[in-house]
Amino acid sequence: MSNSTIIIALSTITTGIMLGTIFSLVAVGVTIVYGSIWMPNAANGQFFLLAALFAWSASVSWGLHPAVAALLVIGISVPFSWLLEILLVRRFYDVPNRNISYFVLTLGITQVLTGIFSVTYGVWSDQFQLPPIVKGVTFLGPFPIANNRLAAMLIAALLLAALFALLRYHRYGRALRAVFQNREAAALRGVDVRAIYRMSFILGNGVIFAGGVLFAFAYAVDLTVAWTMSVTAFAIMIIGGPGSVVGALIVGMVFGFTQAIVSIFASPTIAAFSYLGAMLVILLFRPSGLFAR
Amino acid sequence: MTRNGLGGCALAAGVALVLMGGTALAEDPVKIGFVTELTGPWAFFGTSCVAGLKLADAQINPPGKRRIEFVTIDNQTQPAQAVAAARNLDVQSKVLALSGPTSSDTALAMYGYAEQNKVPFVVPVAAFPQLTKPGSRYTFRIEPDAAGWGYAIAQFVAKKKPGAKIALVYSDFALMRAIAAGLKYSAAKAGLKIEPEIVFPQGSNDATVQAAQVLAAAPDFVVPIGAGAFDNTLTNQLLDIGIKTEQVIHPFGITTQVKNWGKRSAGSYYGTFFDSNLDELTPEGKSFVEAFRAQNDRPPSYLENYCYVTAHLIREALDKDPAAADDREKFRDAVAGLNTKETTSGIPITFDKNGARKEYMYFMQIQDVDAKGYKAKQQFYIEWDPEVIPVYDLVK
Repeated sequence: MSNSTIIIALSTITTGIMLGTIFSLVAVGVTIVYGSIWMPNAANGQFFLLAALFAWSASVSWGLHPAVAALLVIGISVPFSWLLEILLVRRFYDVPNRNISYFVLTLGITQVLTGIFSVTYGVWSDQFQLPPIVKGVTFLGPFPIANNRLAAMLIAALLLAALFALLRYHRYGRALRAVFQNREAAALRGVDVRAIYRMSFILGNGVIFAGGVLFAFAYAVDLTVAWTMSVTAFAIMIIGGPGSVVGALIVGMVFGFTQAIVSIFASPTIAAFSYLGAMLVILLFRPSGLFAR
Repeated sequence: MTRNGLGGCALAAGVALVLMGGTALAEDPVKIGFVTELTGPWAFFGTSCVAGLKLADAQINPPGKRRIEFVTIDNQTQPAQAVAAARNLDVQSKVLALSGPTSSDTALAMYGYAEQNKVPFVVPVAAFPQLTKPGSRYTFRIEPDAAGWGYAIAQFVAKKKPGAKIALVYSDFALMRAIAAGLKYSAAKAGLKIEPEIVFPQGSNDATVQAAQVLAAAPDFVVPIGAGAFDNTLTNQLLDIGIKTEQVIHPFGITTQVKNWGKRSAGSYYGTFFDSNLDELTPEGKSFVEAFRAQNDRPPSYLENYCYVTAHLIREALDKDPAAADDREKFRDAVAGLNTKETTSGIPITFDKNGARKEYMYFMQIQDVDAKGYKAKQQFYIEWDPEVIPVYDLVK
């Protein structure tokens, strides 16, 4: 096998893992919130972008080490989400068909954040690049990969594993899954459903923030990324099955690899809509998603 | 008082009123509607343009001359909003002319309005060729057309290495397609080879696989034409995979782009129409760079320069024919007949019958990049007639 072939093959694999882990993180964040409180969070792309831009401010403008900036931003997501939950989200917990109300609410949040970004970051620059967490390049055979990108990929994978373990083995995770499956039965078993709602909203947004920060380490960011990520996260959630964390995880990885592989055998243009086409086909046969309960 | 006396007083009062009215009229500022992108995806370009424009205010409005006032309106980077603002400025504010857009989409929308309603339209920064398509009468474009940029790149590469192979990688936006079309057409004429040609859809964020394909094709040069953040990602991923900086030719580079490409891009080339590192800036150009840097903490690029130049160009047209200040046709003729130079760089400004400017481009090589700015060295300069290649047929 020639060096060129090896380089192309390894670039495809690493791109698949990189995109797949980021897509999965964001989609898992969206699906945790949807599964627990039935909120189709239309603002997920803006939250993702908010995290990336905050990290940029903290590292470039304030001079913090990028790793510290990343932790700070993910930490900020907790009071940010808590405040949103107190001010807006909890008011709809008992509203019938609240998913529609939540969708409209989060569209409003999207508009507000879009406007704020437009008159702040949008005026400061047309692109935002975080300094690398780790410098240098590692060679996988003949294929060079930036250490920064490798680090972002590993952290994303570790976060996904930790999230999976939390939901699978921790008491909170079991309570959350119980609420996903049947909130009345969970309440009868002593689960504080409202507390789970609140924690889900905070955890889901925290995961989206982490996705945004890691994305900004691997790629430059501009204000348009919010829309792209929002559409992708929803597509993954719908194919995986709304509320299915495993579905979001697996389909997110499949999306990442699909984009990488199709872009080499067809073109980047076809790759960009290949997974949306796949979504339509899958929904024809499995309208409730691949991993719906 | 006699009847004659009363009549005399009335006459004197009447004359005084007419004179006062006349004086007031003479002191009314000349209004120019400046419809630009202050919010939306193109906000950075619109606000940067306005920052450049404002620096020209003192020079174009010296004491004793009729004041030029730019009425700035945000088009939200939306063509429909741009047309609505243009109509409002035309009908309500009675502006003499329109200007301001920095995006080809909003500029094209305003172009339709301006040509249809015979409002002179001076476009500072928009490169889509059809803005000066044959038959255009009221539109004047300061920036060279994008297909021409492709022509300039081909001439630069042909000079550096005759018969070279160029890898062309670009985002699927109108501007990028126009540059690519001009490059492909001109490369064939200049004996250059384009291989591979890779197009990315809007919203792309990863190019690792395509960077590997480019490396495998072993080109002499790579022309990456990304949009927004993807431009930076594309550049980094090309360099990550082993493309040398000396192989990379960016068609254009504004300050934020060059700063984000960073120190690792030292050695690569970018095209531009104005740069703080140019060999021959005029004294006014140097003052402009310093004033802009002091206010914005970064040097200006061609974007800000064109908006600054637009203000000067309007002043010159009004100086040339003071009657043009109240007559759109005369103003249009005054602009069309200008034979002047950019006050910042001394580059000539003349317009052809369609309002396209005699075109030109610099190619700079990045020397160093730091937090405050960057150093670049001028490597190549070229001027050409807008229709040296069939720009209006290449890009519809």
